[in-house]
Amino acid sequence: MTNDEFDNGEIQRILRAAEAETPAAVSSRLKSRIFSKLIQMEQEQGPLRVLSESRSAGEILCIFETVVAALPSDNLQSRNPCAVCHARILGERVEQAPLYWPGCPYTTFCGH
Amino acid sequence: MTTSPARVHESDLQLVAAILKRDRKATARLIEVHADAVHRYVWRRLTPKVDLVEDIVQDVFVAAWRGLSNYSGEASLQTWLVSIARNKVEDHYRRTLGISLKSFEPDDAPLVAASVDLVAAVDRGRQENRAAQVLSRIPYEYALALRWRYWEDRSARDIAAATGRTEKAVERLLARARAKFKLFWEETA
Repeated sequence: MTNDEFDNGEIQRILRAAEAETPAAVSSRLKSRIFSKLIQMEQEQGPLRVLSESRSAGEILCIFETVVAALPSDNLQSRNPCAVCHARILGERVEQAPLYWPGCPYTTFCGH
Repeated sequence: MTTSPARVHESDLQLVAAILKRDRKATARLIEVHADAVHRYVWRRLTPKVDLVEDIVQDVFVAAWRGLSNYSGEASLQTWLVSIARNKVEDHYRRTLGISLKSFEPDDAPLVAASVDLVAAVDRGRQENRAAQVLSRIPYEYALALRWRYWEDRSARDIAAATGRTEKAVERLLARARAKFKLFWEETA
């Protein structure tokens, strides 16, 4: 076996061991930013699913979404209340933000 | 002879169907359930470039969202997402090493020979952390080359084809990367 072949084998063993190292968990800020980005893309494609339909499908709405879901117009229900919500702003900027709204995705990303 | 039908991941298909209806709650669940796996995959391959890791994880979800209608349910959603992550990571390897390999093209430098016995080192404790430390200390291009070669099992020929460089240049880069790795490996002993 040549020196280089020997090296290949040993380095492979060492690096494979390093591959098993556990990284830090994904940040709540990153999850929040990705969610906001995808919702923005969905809105560019068309209206979001009406909130009362989401609720009928078994989803839990936050308190603000519940208010929006009570509106009679599908057009209004398709809007995104998160766009003007402090929870989104905090979720995108503060790691593990102190958010405790049940049904709020940004609260979920923070693990609360 | 008949073949068994491929397993279909029903719950993943249902989640995808809801996202395709632009259901925001389903979109949130996609991220909540799968972001850790995607992040873990990308982090291991690109650390210590934390900002880059975050950008690529976001790119993975954006690409996945754009391609959701192609998801068939034959593989789990997590497997599908990680395969997108793998493509994104390899795109980065290709771009980064494609530039770095230019300096390895001239045929005037000898290949760096191995000279350090690593067998004893392998047996020492805490290899994972130590190897990760070494990967973060050596030049970034070297770490990428080693990961691409040994974690993704890409041959020098594969890497050469992906980067548009010669196999010889890739071998030189790998040899120098191994030499640098060993140098720091010994220093952290």
